[in-house]
Amino acid sequence: MSRPPDHFRPPLDLRLTQENLEDLYDNAPCGYCSCLPDGTLVKINRTLLEWLGYELTTLVARKCFQELLTVGGRLHYETHFVPLLLLRNQAREISYLLRRANGTRLPVLLNATLVRDTNGQPLVVRITLFDITERRKYEDELLRARGQAERQGEDLARANDQLTRQNEELTRINADLDNFVYTASHDLRQPINNMAGIFAELKRTTPFPDPEADGMVRMFEDSLSQIMATITGLTEVVQLQRQAVPTEQEEEVVALLPVVEEVVSALRPQLEELKGAFLLDLGAVPTLPISRLSLHSLLYNLLSNSLKYAQAGRPPQVRISAHLENGAPVLTVHDNGRGMDLERHGRELFQLFRRFHPEVPGTGLGLYLVNRLVCQAGGHVEVASTVGEGTSFRICLPR
Amino acid sequence: MDIIKRHNVTISGSGEQVMVFVHGFGCDQRMWRLVAPAFEDQYRVVLLDLVGAGRSDLSAYDPARYASLEAHAQDVVQVLEALDAREVILVGHSVSAMIGALATIAAPERFAALVMVAPSPYYLNEAGYSGGFEPADIDELLAAMDTNYLGWSGEMAPVIMGHNDRPELAGELYQSFCATDPRIARHFARATFLSDHRADMARVPTPTLVLQVTHDALVPVAVGAFLQHQLPESQLVLLDTFGHCPHLSAPHPTTDAIRHYLRQRQL
Repeated sequence: MSRPPDHFRPPLDLRLTQENLEDLYDNAPCGYCSCLPDGTLVKINRTLLEWLGYELTTLVARKCFQELLTVGGRLHYETHFVPLLLLRNQAREISYLLRRANGTRLPVLLNATLVRDTNGQPLVVRITLFDITERRKYEDELLRARGQAERQGEDLARANDQLTRQNEELTRINADLDNFVYTASHDLRQPINNMAGIFAELKRTTPFPDPEADGMVRMFEDSLSQIMATITGLTEVVQLQRQAVPTEQEEEVVALLPVVEEVVSALRPQLEELKGAFLLDLGAVPTLPISRLSLHSLLYNLLSNSLKYAQAGRPPQVRISAHLENGAPVLTVHDNGRGMDLERHGRELFQLFRRFHPEVPGTGLGLYLVNRLVCQAGGHVEVASTVGEGTSFRICLPR
Repeated sequence: MDIIKRHNVTISGSGEQVMVFVHGFGCDQRMWRLVAPAFEDQYRVVLLDLVGAGRSDLSAYDPARYASLEAHAQDVVQVLEALDAREVILVGHSVSAMIGALATIAAPERFAALVMVAPSPYYLNEAGYSGGFEPADIDELLAAMDTNYLGWSGEMAPVIMGHNDRPELAGELYQSFCATDPRIARHFARATFLSDHRADMARVPTPTLVLQVTHDALVPVAVGAFLQHQLPESQLVLLDTFGHCPHLSAPHPTTDAIRHYLRQRQL
C-alpha cells in the first residue's frame, strides 16, 4: 500500500494531543503498576484492577506484587526476577500467572524497571503486564510437545541401550558356542579314532562266521566315516569362522577367478565321473569383498553340492557367474540338479545339521557354513529352486 | 578441564585468608557484586560458578552426578584444594549454604567459618517441620521455569559461556544474565528444593553464622531457629529486610553482619 499524498491526509484532530495523562495510564491497553522495592503495591492502573477483579483499596499498601503470583511463580520471582532487577535495574519478558480475586489465573508477560533515588538506592519498581492468554495456550502446547519429544528420546535411548546389551550378550553366546563346538569336536575325535583303530584291529584278528557279518561290518564302517566327516566339518566351521572375522582396518578383497579355478580343479574327478561341466562367466566382477578362505570354502560347498545332488540320469551342468547389481557384486551358482521344495524346507535351509536328501551322504553343515561366511562378509544368500529342474544360489555381497 | 576454568573461578583482594562466596539457585557469582568487594581489603576473595551455572563448564554437568548437593560440595572442596586454601571462610547463599555445610563436613580441616545466607535445610512441610512449601508448589516453580525458558535459544550458549565469536550477540547478553540451559536449571531446581539436609546440620564441624531474612518468601522464620538449634556452634542474626537475596536487597546490613561475626571470631 502506498502512502497517500500529503494533501489527502485528514486534518489532525486536536483532541488527541490533549489526551488526559491519567486516562492514558488508567485505561492503557496493558496492566501497569508500581511497587516499593519490597514489592508493596503503591499504584495500579484500572486495566490491571479489572483483569484481577480487585478494588484499588484492597491492594495499595496492603499487598505485595509477588502475592498476586502463584506460589511457583513467586519462587521464580524471588530467585530470578529480583536478582535481575537489583543487578540490572530491569527485567524483561518474564512470564507468570496472576491470581485473580475469583481464584482464576491470568497468564501475563511482564517487563519491569527499577527506579533508584539520587543516592542510588532502589526507590520504586514499575511493572507493565500484557495479557497473553491465547499465546500461552500455544506455548503450553509447545511445552507439552517438547516434553513428549524428550520422553520419547529417553525411551529410544533406553531401548537402544537394551539392544546394545542384548547384542553383546548374543556375541558372547556365539563365541561360547563356537568354543564349545570346537572343544566338543576336538574331544570327540580322539575316542572315535580309537574306535576306528580298535575296529580295524578286531576285523583283522577275528573271523566273523555269521554270513550277515560282512554287511554289518560295512554298516559300522559307514557310520564311523559319517561321524568322522561330521566332526571334521564342525572343526572346519569354527576354524573358518575364526579366520574369516575381518579386521577393521583392512577390508579383504580376493580375486575371484583363481579361487573358482582352484575349487573346480579339486572337484574334477567327481565331475568327470558324472560327465558334467562347470560353465564360468566371471568377467564382470574380477574381485569380491570377502576373505580368500571364506570364498574357497563356500564355493567348495556349493559346487560339491551341485554335483552331489545332481538329477539321476542327467549330467550336471553348473553355471558359475558373477555380475554387479546396483554396484554390488552377486555371485551365482546355478545347477540343473534335483532341486528342493523351498515351500517346505526353505526356512530350515541354512540351519545346522538340517538335511533334505537323506539318500545322499552328508553332514548338514555345508549350507550352514556358506550362510554364515556370507553374513560375516556383510552379505546375504538368496535361493531359488524347482524340484526336478535345479537350484540357484545367489551370494550377494556389499559394494 | 582445569578445575579453576571449570568453575570460572575469579580471585581478587589483598588479604591472605581465603573467603569464598558460593551463589545460590537462580543466578551465578555475579550475585555477590554488592557484597564481596567489601571484603577485598582484608581477604583473598574467591568467587566461583557452580557447574551448570553462569560461565562454568556446562558440558561438565552430569545429571546423575549432580542429582544431589554432595557433588557440588565436592567441587567446592576441589577448588579450595587447587588454591591450596586453608582456614577458609565460606559464604553460601540459599542452596549453597547447604553445599557449604556439606563441604565443611567433607573437609573440616580446610574451614575456619561458615556463613549461611538465607539458608534452608528442607523446603517442604512435614509433620513437626514447616519448610514453607508443598510438592505441588515446586511443580509450579518448574512450570514457571519452563515458560520462562521458551526464549532460551542455542545461539545464546556461547555468549553465556564467554567464548563468544559473534559480537553482534553481545547486546543480547542482558537476556542471558542469570540464564542457563533450561534442562540444567530444572534439574538443579529439583536438587535444590527437594533434598533434605536437616540431619546433616548436627554434623557441621565449623562455627557457623546463620543470616536470616525477616521477610523471606522462601524461608519461614522458624527455619532459622531450627538451624541454630541443630548446628553445634552457631549464631543466628536476623536481617530486617525482604526477599530471598539480602546480599542484593540489603547489601550493607549483610556485609556488616558478616564482618561483625568474623571480627568476633578474630578471623
